Amino acid sequence: MNQGDFIFRHAILRTVIIVAFAILVANLFHLTVVRHSFYQDQALENRQDRFRVRAPRGRIHDRDGNLLVANQYIADIIVPRKCLTPAGPDSTLGKLIEWFGLDRWETLDRLEQQSSRKDQLILVPDASPSRIFTVEERGRELPGVKVVTRSRRQYLFGPLFAHAIGYVGEIGRAALDSMETVYAQGDYIGKLGIEEAMEPLLRGSAGIKLEEVNAAGRIVGRKPVWVRDVVPGTDVEVTLSLRLQQRLAASIGDRPGCAVALDVRTGEVLAAYASPAFDPNVMGGSLTTVQWNALVEDPGKPLFNRITQATYPPASIFKTITSLAGLAGGHVTVNSSLDPCGGGWNYGGRYFRCHKREGHGWLDHTGAMMQSCDTFYYQLGMRLQVDELAAAARAFGLGSRVTSEFSDEVRGNVPDTDWYNKHVGKGKWSRGVLMNTSIGQGELLVTPIQMAVVAGRIASSGTMPDPTFVRSPTPVRRQPKPLPFRAEHLAWVREAMRRTVAEGTGRAARLKTVEVAGKTGTAQNPHGEDHAWFMCFAPASMPEVALAIVMENAGGGGSVAAPIAGDFLKAYFHEDEADSAAVPVEVPADLTVEAD
Amino acid sequence: MGGLRHLLTPRGDRIIFWCWLGLCLMSLAILWSVTEPIIGPYEDVDPGVPKSVFWRQLTWALVGYVGLVVASRVPLRHLDNLSPVPWLVSLLLLLLVPVFGPVISGARRWLVFGPVSLQPAELAKVSCIILNASLLARGVDSQRKSLATGFSLLLTAIPALMVMKQPDLGTSLVFWAAWVGMIFWFGMPGIFLLVAASGVASAVIMFYSDTVAHQAWPWGAYLLLLLGVLYWVRWSIPAKVTMLAVSVLSGIAVPVVWSGLKGYQQDRVMAWFRPAEHAFSAGYQGLQSKVAIGSGGLFGTHYLKGTQKGLAFLPERQTDFIFSVVGEELGFVGALVVVALFFVMILRGVDHAAAVRKPFTRFLAVGIVSYLAFHVVVNISITTGLMPVTGIPLPLMSYGGSNLLVTSAMVGLLLNVSSKSFDA
Repeated sequence: MNQGDFIFRHAILRTVIIVAFAILVANLFHLTVVRHSFYQDQALENRQDRFRVRAPRGRIHDRDGNLLVANQYIADIIVPRKCLTPAGPDSTLGKLIEWFGLDRWETLDRLEQQSSRKDQLILVPDASPSRIFTVEERGRELPGVKVVTRSRRQYLFGPLFAHAIGYVGEIGRAALDSMETVYAQGDYIGKLGIEEAMEPLLRGSAGIKLEEVNAAGRIVGRKPVWVRDVVPGTDVEVTLSLRLQQRLAASIGDRPGCAVALDVRTGEVLAAYASPAFDPNVMGGSLTTVQWNALVEDPGKPLFNRITQATYPPASIFKTITSLAGLAGGHVTVNSSLDPCGGGWNYGGRYFRCHKREGHGWLDHTGAMMQSCDTFYYQLGMRLQVDELAAAARAFGLGSRVTSEFSDEVRGNVPDTDWYNKHVGKGKWSRGVLMNTSIGQGELLVTPIQMAVVAGRIASSGTMPDPTFVRSPTPVRRQPKPLPFRAEHLAWVREAMRRTVAEGTGRAARLKTVEVAGKTGTAQNPHGEDHAWFMCFAPASMPEVALAIVMENAGGGGSVAAPIAGDFLKAYFHEDEADSAAVPVEVPADLTVEAD
Repeated sequence: MGGLRHLLTPRGDRIIFWCWLGLCLMSLAILWSVTEPIIGPYEDVDPGVPKSVFWRQLTWALVGYVGLVVASRVPLRHLDNLSPVPWLVSLLLLLLVPVFGPVISGARRWLVFGPVSLQPAELAKVSCIILNASLLARGVDSQRKSLATGFSLLLTAIPALMVMKQPDLGTSLVFWAAWVGMIFWFGMPGIFLLVAASGVASAVIMFYSDTVAHQAWPWGAYLLLLLGVLYWVRWSIPAKVTMLAVSVLSGIAVPVVWSGLKGYQQDRVMAWFRPAEHAFSAGYQGLQSKVAIGSGGLFGTHYLKGTQKGLAFLPERQTDFIFSVVGEELGFVGALVVVALFFVMILRGVDHAAAVRKPFTRFLAVGIVSYLAFHVVVNISITTGLMPVTGIPLPLMSYGGSNLLVTSAMVGLLLNVSSKSFDA
């Protein structure tokens, strides 16, 4: 082997090594200097995780400052979905089940039932401090297991405000898709009542923070960087009164029915209770399928919001409107006497009975109202046109939504010519329908809150604003259209209603110190017992409060509904001392709806 | 005095020794950082690698120093004469591994002696180099160079295949790297190089056609090009046929070998071709390594403050990816220092190989230099994303006692050779 070969190979070997190292250095320079900022961002992205921090939801107070709805902080123990498979005794899940003494199969079932969309499953909701301590202490053995605190909505009075204030529940897919910027999966959203109506204020705005994490995803940074601050939800003061609501609920008891009380001067809803109610505390999230089905299938329909969704024929309390329509059209005067009542009236070959079989005999207009004589109103009805009566009803808000807050409010039904043409058929109906409509039966349907508005509008000569549930931060005042009735006619109706309570069918609502004006009604119910109606306002001379009550399948309005009104008004006017002080934060035991 | 000094210090090229010392100190500094909690606005963070790693490496560095001194002073003549002994011992140990070795992360690579674990593959590497040097030195002036080449191929293939079966693909490739370097030094005709190069090119293009592009035309085009070139050049017919045959065979072998690879090995190679698709699986290690080095910038994030290292995003940061920690915490400058220390050591080794007279020392030096260069270039290429991820430690830096001791001993042999070059 000659020396020349070696020199040549030595040169090649040197060159190869120099070139290889030059490539290494050039590449290093490219990585560390040329692309430095790119990789720096990558490193930052590696160690910074964005966390969304939910805003505490605004609390709800009553008009006297009593706290009705608050938030409670609880901690859940969360496991990642991948823990589910395989769940051997040495697995993370296996350890937790053993340490916590959980039932293995029940736990696995419960975890698997949780939404398949979620990556984080709640192993123990509302965990006890000792379990939280276990997870915090032994976290290293439990990769991915976290303690996550969340705020739970706390309804301090359980079912008392169930329908008026509503409840919160986990946001649905549709709402989430349409409001991606505001909500995230697992957020709670108001589902009914004030919770739903005031959602934009109550929810506040979630914050976003950046936390430094290690490769396992555990937060290791000392201090987060806030990208967007949490804006807590705004507290809401409702127009409801805890004291009056408690009194109303106590008077109604667990009988199915509904009552709404309004402040005549402002339209504020002072009390609104529907029975039976449900406990909003169990609604959001923790409700099991069994419990939910029990609520849905309960024959008392506790989930049904009778305040704004239940429709009934108004029966005799509608006679106030029939009278006003007759007076406005000049068909009768306040002193008119029609043919005497012999227990009924013949129309079109059919005999329409008065509720008093033996007949009222001779009555003037005021007497007919006080005695609620059907025969008088059959005759008055026949003097009216169908659309004339419908217009009078509409002037009070019947057939339309009266609140601005309740999205689930129904309109009820005020039948007019168009309605009959459409639903019965042109030429297939006659003015005879007025025989029923004029006494508040037939196709006429109203909600309890609509009838409270009728009472308030009569009491205020139409000046009462639309009912509202919110006092602060932004009170809603919607002034109504003026009533198309003359002041003396409205005053006459008020006087007739005063005398109805003083000496007529509404005597059960009388108070010692304050004069009450009211009208009873008994709605014929083809499916069972009659519904009892009562609407009233007080004081009769200078009304402050108006009230409408309907008790389902309960019998006569005078005997069933009027006493509830009397009881409520006693509380409103502080007539008896026993109830003058509301007992805050105490849920009457007899109001708790058990899902059975 | 003189006798004691001989016992305690190495002889030979001082600069190579200082490079060795610098790299060992750098390794200890980085391993200290890897085993410390990160400094920064963090709650007490577990570094994920126990402090014992540092102390063990320190101990092995001291043992390695002894190995280096001994290797630098051992008479090379005896080493030449006894060269089959270490080869046979290491072969025996390699045979024991599948029988007694514990399975650690899916492979049997270690033999455990009480508190000490050894990788026989490391011993096999150095003994294979020594035996090949001895063999080639005896064959270099004879008329039967092909026989010597074939014999050395066989002696290398035996331990290399055994290591590959452990499985440890990276280490088995090291045997071939050292062999190729020594055979080149031994003297291969230029045409051999061209044939080998055409085979490699064919394999790479075939791999691209078959696995990445899923189209036949790139390899077909390569073959057509090769045929055209062979038509024009004035070589002997057997040479042309050999070249074509090697190209075709190596091309055809690629799919066969590829399907024989383990799933994770395939994934890693594919991850290198398409990093974005494998960012969280097979490409994760390579990507995180690039992020660590790239985020270091010119001067690094500062010693002990690297987040890729400290928050455990960087895998294997004490072993195969230790260079990434250098890049992150000490930046381009720190990485350049490490690269330069290796570069100087290797380049001086090549120079000594050319300067010594005895064939055995020449081949020994070239084998050691090839071994070191392959390890360094491949490891740094992997950590900087130039190559698919495979398990190749960075010599003298990566945590691991066997590797440190064996590499130190090899550097000691290189020093030994260099002392001869000064004599010359």
